[in-house]
Amino acid sequence: MLAVQYVRSVPRYAVVRASGGNPAVATGQLSMLHLGDIEEPELPSRAWRRVLPNLSGICGSDTAAITGHASLYLDPLTSYPFVPGHEVAGRLEDGSRVVIEPALGCAVRGVEPRCARCAEGRPGLCENVTEGALPVGLQTGYCAGTGGGWGEVLVAHESQLHEIPPALTDEAAVLIEPLACCIHAALRGGAGPEDTVVVMGAGTIGLLTIAAIRHFTPPRRLLAVAKHGFQREQARRLGADAVIAPDEAFQRIRFATGARRLDGADRPLLLGGADLSFECTGSAGGLNAAVRFTRGGGRLVAVGMPGEERVDWAPIWQRELTVMGAYAYGVEAGGRSTFELALEAAPALDLGVLTGPLFGLADYRAAIAYAAAAGRLSAVKVAFDLRDLR
Amino acid sequence: MGRPGAVLEVDRNTPPTLFHYGEGVRLERLPLGSRILYPSDPIEPIAHAERAIRRALAHPLEDDPLRSLLRAGMRLTIAFDDLSLPLPPMAAPDVRQLVIEEVLEMAAEAGVDDVELIVATGLHRRMTGDEIRHVVGDRVFTTFWPDRLYNHDAEDPEGNVTIGVTSLDEPVTLNRRSAESDLVVYVNVTLVPMDGGHKSMATGLASYSGIAAHHNVRTLLGSRSYMHPPDSELHHSCIRQGKLIEDAVRVFHIETTVNNHAFPTIANFMQKRETDWTPADQATFLALKQLTDLAPAGVKRSIFHSMRAPYGLTGVHAGQVDQVHERSLDAVRRQMTVAVDGQTDIVTMGLPYLGPYNVNSILNPVLVVCLGLGYLFNLYRGRPVVREGGVVIMEHPCRYEFDSVQHPSYIDFYDEVLADTRDPAEIEKRYEQQFAEDPWYRQLFRKSHAYHGVHPFYAWYWAAHALQHLGDIIVVGGEREVVHRLGFKAASTLDDAFEIAEQTVGRWPSVTHLRTPPLLLAEVR
Amino acid sequence: MRFELLADLRTLRRGWHWSGPRPGGWPEAQPGVPDRASNLGWARTEPVRSARWLIQNGLALPFTRMMAHPRVQGGEWLEGLDRPAILAANHVSHADTQLLLYALPAATRERTVVAAAADYWYRRPWLGRVVSLWLNTFPFSRTGGPSEVLSSSSQLLKSGWNLLVYPEGTRSPDGRLQEFRPGVGHLATETRSPVIPLHHRGSHRIMAKGRRLPMPAPVTVRIGKPLTPVRGESSRAFAARVEEAVKGLAAGTREPAVVGSWIERWRAAEPRSSSRR
Repeated sequence: MLAVQYVRSVPRYAVVRASGGNPAVATGQLSMLHLGDIEEPELPSRAWRRVLPNLSGICGSDTAAITGHASLYLDPLTSYPFVPGHEVAGRLEDGSRVVIEPALGCAVRGVEPRCARCAEGRPGLCENVTEGALPVGLQTGYCAGTGGGWGEVLVAHESQLHEIPPALTDEAAVLIEPLACCIHAALRGGAGPEDTVVVMGAGTIGLLTIAAIRHFTPPRRLLAVAKHGFQREQARRLGADAVIAPDEAFQRIRFATGARRLDGADRPLLLGGADLSFECTGSAGGLNAAVRFTRGGGRLVAVGMPGEERVDWAPIWQRELTVMGAYAYGVEAGGRSTFELALEAAPALDLGVLTGPLFGLADYRAAIAYAAAAGRLSAVKVAFDLRDLR
Repeated sequence: MGRPGAVLEVDRNTPPTLFHYGEGVRLERLPLGSRILYPSDPIEPIAHAERAIRRALAHPLEDDPLRSLLRAGMRLTIAFDDLSLPLPPMAAPDVRQLVIEEVLEMAAEAGVDDVELIVATGLHRRMTGDEIRHVVGDRVFTTFWPDRLYNHDAEDPEGNVTIGVTSLDEPVTLNRRSAESDLVVYVNVTLVPMDGGHKSMATGLASYSGIAAHHNVRTLLGSRSYMHPPDSELHHSCIRQGKLIEDAVRVFHIETTVNNHAFPTIANFMQKRETDWTPADQATFLALKQLTDLAPAGVKRSIFHSMRAPYGLTGVHAGQVDQVHERSLDAVRRQMTVAVDGQTDIVTMGLPYLGPYNVNSILNPVLVVCLGLGYLFNLYRGRPVVREGGVVIMEHPCRYEFDSVQHPSYIDFYDEVLADTRDPAEIEKRYEQQFAEDPWYRQLFRKSHAYHGVHPFYAWYWAAHALQHLGDIIVVGGEREVVHRLGFKAASTLDDAFEIAEQTVGRWPSVTHLRTPPLLLAEVR
Repeated sequence: MRFELLADLRTLRRGWHWSGPRPGGWPEAQPGVPDRASNLGWARTEPVRSARWLIQNGLALPFTRMMAHPRVQGGEWLEGLDRPAILAANHVSHADTQLLLYALPAATRERTVVAAAADYWYRRPWLGRVVSLWLNTFPFSRTGGPSEVLSSSSQLLKSGWNLLVYPEGTRSPDGRLQEFRPGVGHLATETRSPVIPLHHRGSHRIMAKGRRLPMPAPVTVRIGKPLTPVRGESSRAFAARVEEAVKGLAAGTREPAVVGSWIERWRAAEPRSSSRR
């Protein structure tokens, strides 16, 4: 089958890092990425199904891995070579359309008894990711045994499959996985009706977080920090009360929260500030701003995948911030799975407009370069279209 | 006696016309047949200022001589206008210094021990020590600063008292020290007819609630214009408040008026009519134009803001507020009035670098509106120079530029409020309270040198009458994005602006240019 | 930022028709320029004065404020001044002149010339021109006898210019006040001009003797009560009295220890000038 494959190679990694993550190098001859004909993944057991991806998104974590920016923390949690792609809208051999819940927890791996985390309903935190019928891997798209969305075929456990309601197009369905992540983040943040909430960044994660907060935990005021024109429009459409340019973040958040502002030698800080912030850029700049505009005793949710960043911990310490990560989905309070919630919420959000442009697998180099500069190019979710491979 | 103000019709022989352009200047050719309104030349100042002041204090209008009001053991408070008057700031010695020194001399002779001097800032920013020193002079400053010479604090809950409610339910508040004094001597500068009279105390020494009683959209829309007190709802309200203040405190009012010699020798060409320019004036213009075209903003600003005006004292009156103010208004009108025949379709004006609220600071976009559509537009008596539905064309660079020390709330006003609505009434209803109560603005107002949180609202309300009256507003040479945020149209040249204006006022419109500053008051017949 | 010199020149050249008729019935303009001190030397002539005004206000004074944040005390002594005066200051560094000009009120500053050592600053012609333009200096011979000193400086004083001199004659090597030369006494007795003692502290930290680049440091400038020679006082004795006054300022004793209410302080600060009554 045709697939884009990621191989582990220290010299190649060194080349990509040396280029500073330049997309032309990170997808070129000396990169970790190859397009080619490889063997189809095998079905580990009878509970597994073959899935043929229709659309498969390029996630921020994918470009980070490809350009060498991802944290090495993730290296031992991954098995190589793998086919990337975990935002998948595909179909089964019987023709029914499905999205995949990529987390590879105990249930998927067939491990009994389940680990404590999986028993809690948080398969993203599974402690048995080295066990069972599969090689190491946190999720589909980072595991050598399952294949991934950037190939013609992948395999998925029955429990990973969620049927796509007819109201959702493939373009919208490819955003179900990130939407689930963001719903999970919003529920972890748990904004109250009197809170002022700031979402920093308006890429896929930022926009979907805005939508999730508006839908599940509507606050008193929801501010979005967005850089590019299309992002600003979409942020407003998905429920932000005000959209702020990054360089005026402190000024506008100060105003919205009636805080006091002090100007330091490098960056300003707010006395008071947002009750709850969602960091959706995964960058040091975003984190360092967020810890200074979130109020003392406030909460900060890291949603965008960060690398190894230089973050000033003094504000976290002095403001007694609660910093929490929000990685993946599972079963939320109330007993419903995050994916169910996402599939219910999605039709009202008209997510399809966020997807595009679409690329064929053969154009993977252009696609990844486009995805790496998506905001500037007025794109949100760049995806591969595999429908015409069949 | 200099020449009176005049209206010049542009013909082929008319030289190009000077337009102020923020921290810069331009020469523009106005269409043939346009009218140019020139202010009158500076009237001859009083030769012996000190003598005139002593005479005014000794023979006040309907009041006892100041000397007889002073006695040992009394509480005396001297309040005076802040640096927003006159514009540009007056070259030393400031006329307030001369008056205050004279008053203090008498107080010293009478042995009045308890004297305090208060800068009547109202909701303006606190003045810095150096600025106060400039206004009162070194001798007063070293004697009283900082314990007995300080800025009024409109947000000090302890430092203000409510002294009553007028017949129309307007609260009247007053600085506590002034309210508890045996005598308040108010020293003012009346530069334009809006200043002075009861407005001095009723705004300068009041707190937010007292000022909000008349600084609001309804009052300002009822003031046609607030530069002509008899037709000004704003002034009627101030007078009602002032009467109540007079009942509560003994006030001795001293008003001074100055001529319109606004520019020092170096910028003499700004003072002169273009027909009178000499080659030397042309050379100065040329040099200044090149400098302002090329120099970075900071350099330009420090050059322009270091200009001090060689104003001459034209009148000083003391005694009861009403009588004093009447005399002052006469003197101001004598200097400023220019008679004009009939209204016009288009008024053009070049906005200078300075308005009342940016002394030593930046004329930000909101203040541009306040200066052009608030102050200059309203400098009329009877009817506006521009007809209803007409067009105002202003020249100003209109950069997105704010002084974060002096105008913090202006930044938020521009970014939050104007992005939402520009209708003064809407703005007042939806946002004013939030700005008034914001703790950060309050802190900066009281401890730093920031204007009060609601001040940008007042700057905008000041333009409410013009916004309602005009059919269109065009800014020449402004940053497009900023001009659009303000709700105006942007043009890159004056000719383009006329082209755009034709859509509103039709072909062959009549044009009048306000060649100001120096300031003039158009009396439209 | 635009460069439009040529276009502006054209506008000016074409815009004014000097020979054409003026608007009918307009009286001639009055002289807008008030009387000013007469010109002596090219540095005191008009375009140069305006250029200096621009240089000072656009660059030098803001820069001084940034570098030194000078604190000025005693400015009131310069206010009541009704005739040109000699300003006598201690001399520590090349930055002194600019600092002292900063400390003067604008009106005084614009009418002040600075005595600069002819054998130092005017040795090279271009250097002399630069300091003349920048600081309004004139060449002052420190080797010549009293008569030579007098001729140029007293002429300036008589024509309305204040004169800033450093009676020590050179920069102090260690910041302590050196003996004053008698020239300042000659000048004062000859022209009957008041002498205003000035003292500044801190400029050695900005640019000590021998250093080339200025460093920021706070500076205090004190201005003292004007002195006039009493009848029969020799110029040497008067120079010594000026020296004492500057030393007094250095010790911070400008204000007599005033006790009591504001009225005493007010009286103590009364200007000596007779212009008031």
